[in-house]
Amino acid sequence: MNTRFGVPVISLAVAASLLTAACGSSSNSTSASSSAAGSGATSAAGAAATSAATIAATSAAAASSVAAGASASGSAPGSAAASTVTDSAANDTKATINYFTFSAAPDHLKDLNTIIAAFEKAHPKITVKVQTAAYADYFTKLSTELAGGTAPDTFELDYQDFVDYASSGTLLSLAGANASTYSPAAYTASSLKAFSYNGEQMALPESFSDVVLFYNKALFDKAGVAYPTSSWTWTDEMAAAKKLTDKSSGTFGLFQPVTYNEFYKALNQAGGQFLSADKKTATFNSPAGVAAANWLIGKLGTVMPTLTQIGNTPNFDTNLFMTNKLAMWINGNWQFAGLAKQANWDVVVEPGDTQKASAVFFNGVAASKTTKHAADALAWINFLSSSKSSVTTRVSSNWELPPVADNALIAGYLTATPPTNRKAVIDSLDAPSLAPVIAKQTQMQDLVNTALQNAAAGRGSVQSDLDKAVSQVNALLK
Amino acid sequence: MPDTQVIHPLSITSAPRPESARRRRSRMSARSLLLMTALVLGGLVMLFPFYWTVQTAFSPNGSVLTTPSIVPRHLSLDGFRQLFSTSYDIPFLRVIMNSVVLAVVSTVLAVTTSAMAAYAFARLDFLGKGAVFAIYLATLMIPLQVLVVPLFIEMRTFHLVNTYEAVLAPNIASAFGVFLIRQAIAAVPKELDEAATIDGCGHLRIFTAIILPNIRPALATFAIFAFMASWNNLLWPLVILSSADHMTLPLALSSLHGQFSTQWNVVMAGSVLSIVPILAIYVFAQKYVVQSMATSGLK
Amino acid sequence: MTARSVRSRRVRQGGTVALFLAPSAVPLVLFTLVPMVTSLWVSLHTWNLLTPMQWAGLSNYASLLSDRATLSALLHTLYYIVGYLPIVYAGGLGLAMLLNRRLLGRSLFRSIYFVPVVTSWVVVALTWQWLLNPANGLVNHLLGLIGIHGPGWWASTTWSIPSVILASTWKDLGFVMVILLAGLQSIPQELLEAAEVDGATGWKRFWRITFPLLSPATYFVVVISLINGFQVFDQVYVMTGGGPDNSSQTLVLDIYNMTFRYQEVGLASALSWLLFALVLVVTLIQTRVQRRWVHYA
Repeated sequence: MNTRFGVPVISLAVAASLLTAACGSSSNSTSASSSAAGSGATSAAGAAATSAATIAATSAAAASSVAAGASASGSAPGSAAASTVTDSAANDTKATINYFTFSAAPDHLKDLNTIIAAFEKAHPKITVKVQTAAYADYFTKLSTELAGGTAPDTFELDYQDFVDYASSGTLLSLAGANASTYSPAAYTASSLKAFSYNGEQMALPESFSDVVLFYNKALFDKAGVAYPTSSWTWTDEMAAAKKLTDKSSGTFGLFQPVTYNEFYKALNQAGGQFLSADKKTATFNSPAGVAAANWLIGKLGTVMPTLTQIGNTPNFDTNLFMTNKLAMWINGNWQFAGLAKQANWDVVVEPGDTQKASAVFFNGVAASKTTKHAADALAWINFLSSSKSSVTTRVSSNWELPPVADNALIAGYLTATPPTNRKAVIDSLDAPSLAPVIAKQTQMQDLVNTALQNAAAGRGSVQSDLDKAVSQVNALLK
Repeated sequence: MPDTQVIHPLSITSAPRPESARRRRSRMSARSLLLMTALVLGGLVMLFPFYWTVQTAFSPNGSVLTTPSIVPRHLSLDGFRQLFSTSYDIPFLRVIMNSVVLAVVSTVLAVTTSAMAAYAFARLDFLGKGAVFAIYLATLMIPLQVLVVPLFIEMRTFHLVNTYEAVLAPNIASAFGVFLIRQAIAAVPKELDEAATIDGCGHLRIFTAIILPNIRPALATFAIFAFMASWNNLLWPLVILSSADHMTLPLALSSLHGQFSTQWNVVMAGSVLSIVPILAIYVFAQKYVVQSMATSGLK
Repeated sequence: MTARSVRSRRVRQGGTVALFLAPSAVPLVLFTLVPMVTSLWVSLHTWNLLTPMQWAGLSNYASLLSDRATLSALLHTLYYIVGYLPIVYAGGLGLAMLLNRRLLGRSLFRSIYFVPVVTSWVVVALTWQWLLNPANGLVNHLLGLIGIHGPGWWASTTWSIPSVILASTWKDLGFVMVILLAGLQSIPQELLEAAEVDGATGWKRFWRITFPLLSPATYFVVVISLINGFQVFDQVYVMTGGGPDNSSQTLVLDIYNMTFRYQEVGLASALSWLLFALVLVVTLIQTRVQRRWVHYA
């Protein structure tokens, strides 16, 4: 046994030096322990020191750049800063602004880079740095960064989440911005309104999408059913769906997801409202609400598959439509790009019940209230949302449409095919149905989704499921 | 059961294998066949989702995620090509490098720090040992989800946001590893240490020369899990990293999911790229788990 | 021994303890305990991450303890643990024993059975949803062949947790197997063979030699599986999302929703600390009880 310890172990050379320290330090245990502690934390502490130095240097540079530019410091309340900073001042110094996005990844990063290149050419002193995250992870990261006080200078928000961020005072107000910062006339009125909070413009609308009725012409031809028109109602839609469903070949007539997003729209189509006019109580258990819920769940197992068959299978409905097993499909114009290679399909404004209502979604871009480069940040979100190069890049790449007032700018989108009837995307804006927004948005959506699933599974009556959800949502509204 | 019943390999001289072993083997061959069949069938069930992943990864662009077929149709490298193409603007080679370096460094750190602490808990006597060990275990009992925001804020005060150091920080030490290795050290007979102490060895020598060689299975096992923990970590890197050149593999894979649709062949190609290295490490580390038996038997 | 030498030995021992513990203790304190204490502080506040925290005292705890949803999430979590732990341990042990034998293709099998551990939960969940589909899944089809009308699995409020248990067990078998294999490796073959020469049967050998010698590894598996089981999240998140009708809502799923979806971080922290207290008590009981059944060399 003795011999084993006599053999020198090369790999323990480092440990050997520590060994002496451990055995010989009996007289001074504190120093041994503190040195050990030091060595354990070396990597982190050393790194901290280096990074601290780097960050100190950068922030010093940033501070001087702000000082040189104007009196716009990060801590100044947004609107004041925005109005006092002028373009010429901002252009004197170099600045890097961060832009955090969910809509660019993964398919449109190249297009975003094109837009950035054009922006940097027009504003040589500004560099835009992109951060991306998948939509599912985006708000986790954004809210953590805001909590930590390291928000990106500019970031994307969808309409449903906008209110939360605006009401929390995290966004730089554009209310005091002068005319050179952005031009309200460039945007459609409804899209601007979507991003105003308490009468103040807090973000600029960057893109919109809406939901239309997709249909497979070949299946209609085969079944001898006339193509849908914009004057169709639920009744026409259901009658056609029944004729088009052929269970023997696994063909379904009509697919509409049973979700919150479809429900509030169907509720509007049936003439109902989700919330009371003062937005203090939920009203979706009205007869119109029951009709909407029945409209959604009535299709399950008859003209569309059951929820169990669908499960969580990704792209279940897309697969059905692309393999010619689905005649009609209620979905958004974001599907156009993916269906570009499919032949023989078109779209039409979605049928209503007692009235027309089409779901419209907006994405906006906002600047953070704590940005150190307020003027540059606003210049960027203005360019991104309304500049000609941004708009044409979006249109030509089949990205989501910019909500610009001038239809000529998006003419290229309307003439492209498929589908032939792209005008339906614009026509759908005539009767927009916007998502009801409350402070506890996600909880509300979860509650409504659960109620709809319960109704679909027949766990209670539709009325009682909706009543229960209404009382739960009312509790959230308090 | 009292310790006296336990005879350790070290106290047994290595004798030739008893004859009975060979006879037993032939006697049990029929049962072995049955077991083998069960193992193969079970193995197929185990491999199925991985097979599905691979098959989807090798399907052409634009094809959809469908239930797998026994014999794959239309093999294609589209998914892998797309993954490394510039259109996604993800520096994929860089991403893989980041993940490899972070995983290797955190594995080395975690195995080292855990083995040392495990030695203290298994072999040293000190006041409040039980309490300190309980505190170690307690660090496993709070869901990561609520620690992310406080840790982020802490990292910000250290000016470590968007650094590799910050990604590594929570992986330097692992109570899981300390516990796993402590259990292994506890199974090493104390007589060995005592003999060494008489020979005048200090604790570090005992640790490195006696304990470590005897707990290689546990070290290898923990190395696998430490590597996996770093390699698969999504939430913390997501929050703490922001620049594209710092990205890790799970972050890059997650960014392949679009808001409305996902190209599954590309996602699965990335998934295959992330699974294969861990499997390779497992196969490699597993050799040590087995080998150590032979070596400990000789001592 | 003089008082002085006792003291000096203790001091030296203290230095050694510090030397061995510091490399893990310092990072654990800095990067886990400090955030934990912060979250305890957060649990006394209302916080949506976007606006400054507001003092709430113990009201988060009070509202959680009076909420029936907390209790049902706890019961679902316990149900999961009670179902999962025995099956995964027995299965992992069986596999480890089997793959510890001299067997054709042993290392290949060890690798194959480890594959689920590294396969992403997303694909695993899809697979199990497909296998367990009540309408056209393979499992119900096979059950039908032997005359059993299969249950609704993840689509049913009574079978959602068993479905999650099944998938989790399947995925974690390899994990338990690897740990127990490492434990089995340290059991001397000679000992088992000596027992066989003495005429001990397979079962007897298992209960009198293998199982006691494996008890440190078993103890580890049980403690870690319980700690992880109380925090069951990934599999529920991807398989059922807590549904249908919240029938598989677990504590950490609640915590996740509260933190990142509902922006109720104070509430999430409070629930985490309630969970912490529970797990701590269970673990401490185990450390007490282990003295009776875990055998160290």
